[in-house]
Amino acid sequence: MQTMHPTLLIGPGDWDARQIPRSEYDERLAALWRDHESAGGAIVYGDSRDHAALFYLTHFTPKLEGAIALIPRRGEAQMLIGGGPNMLPAARPLTFISALAPLRDAAKTAADWARDLNGETSLVLLGGNAMPNRLRRALDLALGAGARIEGGDTALRARMRRKSPREMQILRASCATLDAAVAALRDAARSNKSITDCILAAEHAALERDAQDVRSLFSLDGGRTLRPFDVPIAARIDPLQAYVAVRHGGYWAEAFVRIAAQHDELQAKAGSVVRAIAAEAKPGTSAQRLREIIEEGRGGLRVHQLADRTCGSSIGLSLDEALLLTADDVALEQGETYSLRAGFIDAAGAGAIASAMVHVTGNDPQLLWPTNEIT
Amino acid sequence: MTFEQRLAAIHAGLAASPFDCLIALHDGGHFIEKPDPVMVLTGFKALGPVIALLDRSGAVSLVVTPSWDAERASEICPNVAIIGADDVIAGLEKAIGASRAAVGVAGLSALPYGIARRFVDLVPQAQAADSIIFAPARRKTEAELAHAREATRIAELGYKHLLDVAHPGMSEDELAAELRWHSKSLGAEDNFVLLCAGPHNKAVAPSNGRRMQGGDTIVCEITPSYKGQLAQICRTIVLGDASALLRRKYDLVVSSMQAGFAAAKPGAKMGDICRAINTVLEAEGYAEFCYPPHIRRRGHGLGFGSIEPGDVALDNDIVLEPDMLFMIHPNQYLPETGYLLCGEPAVLTPQGAQALTRQQATLAEIAL
Repeated sequence: MQTMHPTLLIGPGDWDARQIPRSEYDERLAALWRDHESAGGAIVYGDSRDHAALFYLTHFTPKLEGAIALIPRRGEAQMLIGGGPNMLPAARPLTFISALAPLRDAAKTAADWARDLNGETSLVLLGGNAMPNRLRRALDLALGAGARIEGGDTALRARMRRKSPREMQILRASCATLDAAVAALRDAARSNKSITDCILAAEHAALERDAQDVRSLFSLDGGRTLRPFDVPIAARIDPLQAYVAVRHGGYWAEAFVRIAAQHDELQAKAGSVVRAIAAEAKPGTSAQRLREIIEEGRGGLRVHQLADRTCGSSIGLSLDEALLLTADDVALEQGETYSLRAGFIDAAGAGAIASAMVHVTGNDPQLLWPTNEIT
Repeated sequence: MTFEQRLAAIHAGLAASPFDCLIALHDGGHFIEKPDPVMVLTGFKALGPVIALLDRSGAVSLVVTPSWDAERASEICPNVAIIGADDVIAGLEKAIGASRAAVGVAGLSALPYGIARRFVDLVPQAQAADSIIFAPARRKTEAELAHAREATRIAELGYKHLLDVAHPGMSEDELAAELRWHSKSLGAEDNFVLLCAGPHNKAVAPSNGRRMQGGDTIVCEITPSYKGQLAQICRTIVLGDASALLRRKYDLVVSSMQAGFAAAKPGAKMGDICRAINTVLEAEGYAEFCYPPHIRRRGHGLGFGSIEPGDVALDNDIVLEPDMLFMIHPNQYLPETGYLLCGEPAVLTPQGAQALTRQQATLAEIAL
C-alpha cells in the first residue's frame, strides 16, 4: 500500500542483537553469496522511502538521507551515510557495521572499493533502481564500462519473503501494536470522536508501544476512496473506513478496518471473503485462486478499486513488498507472510475493505492479524 | 503573487523557450531538501510517483499513482486533467502518445534511477528545464506564505509542548515521535523533527534510542508542514540549569542571527546573510568553526514545492526579493558548548526580513 511518505523517519531503529543477532545477518549474507557465486562484493543502496534490502542485510534504516553499504564477500563491510562526518555518531546505533563514512563522493568511493576486491570483479547491485538518477549515473561511470554488475533485487526479494522464526517474532509484535492502534481507532469512533481524533488516537496508541513508524488513510465518502491525513477534519463518520499500518522493529503490519455503529452488511461481506481467502493461504495457492474466491463471494457487488488489481501482497520489510498478488501464476510459498484484502462497493456507492495478515505454513495458515477473529 | 499568476509566469517561460511542453517529475518521496516541481505546477502532494505536464496552450495534465488516488487529485486540482495510473511512465505514455515534441523536463536528477531510465527511454529528446519552473517559484504565493505562518504557529506550539514533556529518561526517538504526533493534532500533515541530545553535541542529527540525561543539551529543528508548506524553528534546551558560559555563547549565536536578519534586504544576495552571520562569529574567534565540517550553510529555502532561493551560503548569489521565504539559522558548533541551534523562518518584505515567529529563540531550561 502506498501512503504519504514522511519527510523524516522518526522512531526507534537502533539495532538490538537480542532481536536479530549478528549470526542471522551472516546467514543472510551467506545466502546472498550463494545466489551470486562469482560476486566479490555487494553495493546496497537504500533511502528513507525504499530500504528493505539495506535493512535486511545491515539493520540500517536511513532516517534522513540515503545510505550505501559496501559489503565484500570476505572482510568487513562499510557503510556510507548521508550527511557530513558529524552525523555518523547518531547513525552508529542503527547498525552492527562499525566502519561508517559520509556518503559524499559515494560513486568514487564505491568504485575504488570495488577495484580493491582482489580481482573478483563481479558485483551485486541491490537497490540500484532506487538510487537518485544522478548518483546511479555517477556510479555507473565510476565503475566503468567493463564492470560486471549483477542485479540482485529479485533473488533477494524471494529470500526476504520467507521469514525466519526471529522475524516472525518481531512481526507478531508488530501485529500486537497494530491491534492496539485499531482498538484505539474503534474506541474513538464509538465515542463519536471526529475523524481526525480517531486517526490520531490510533497513531498515538501505536507510538506508545514504541512503533517505529505509523501510517494511516481514511475515507470521507463511506469507504469508496481513501486519503491521507491532511488538515484536521471535525466531521464524525459512520461507518468509518480506515487503513492503519505500523512498523515495529523494522517490520510492517497493516490493516483495513471499517467501524460502524450498526450492523454493517457490506463490512460483513468483505470480512467473510477475507476469512475465506485467508483460509486458503497455503503453499501453492495461486493469486488466481484467491481472486476466484473473491469473485464467488462478491455476489452483486463491485470489487473495490483498492482491491481490484490485487488481493494483497507480501508484507514485512516494506509496505508494498513484492510479491504483489496480481499475476495469475503467482503462488504463495511456505514461510512467507501476506497481507490479504477484499473490498466491495455497493449499489449506493459505499465501499468496505477488510484485510488479514497470514503466515503461510506447511499446515493451515497462521493468522497474524487480526489477532482474534476477522470482522 | 497568486498560484495562477505563478503558473502564468511559468507558462510565459515555456512560451519563450524552445520547448513544446514541460514535464515535471517527482517520486512521491517528500524530503525537506528535494524540490517538487509537480507541487509547483499543480499544488498536489502525491502518495506515489507523479508527473505533471504543461503544454504551450497552458493546459496542465497530471499522471497520478496509485490510480485510486486520482479522485483526491481531481479535488485538489480542479483545472487539471487527471490521469490515474498504477505505473507512472505507462501513464505518461498514455498522456503524450507518440508525440516527439521538444520537451523540457524538471526533477529528473532526483528521480529514482528505475523511473528516470524509463522516462529517458520514452522521451529521449527531453532536456533539463528545471529553472523554467523553479525560477518563478523563488517567491512564495500568498497562500504559501499564509500556510508558512500557520506552520510556524504549529512549530511554536510544538516547542512549548517539548518544554512540557521532555525529561531525563525519555529517549530521543520518543520525544521526536511525540512532537510529530502533537503537531499533527494541531493541523500539520508532517513534521521534520530533527532532534538529538547530549552533553556536547557535534551536530543536530536524527534521533536515536539514546535516553536523555540531566545536564544534556537538546538541539532540535521543529519543521511542520501545513498544506504542503514547511516552516521551521531551531531551538536549544538544557535539561537542568544552563551554565553562565552556555548562556553567553548562546547570546552570541543569537546576535549572529540578528546580524543575518539585518543583512537580509531586497537587492542583497543570499550569500550576504551568511557573511553577516560569519562576521559576528569570526570576530569572537570562531572563524575555524564557520566552515565545513562544522557548518555548511546558515539557512535554506522551505519546500515542499520550491526550495528556492536555496541555501544561506557564501556561494549563493541569488538576489533577495520580497515574498521569498527561507530559514535564517546560524546553528553553530562552538568548542566550549557543542552545537547550538537558533533559527527562525523569515519572509522578505520590501523593508527587510521579517521573522514569522512570535517569540524568537532564547536558551531554554527544563527544571528537573
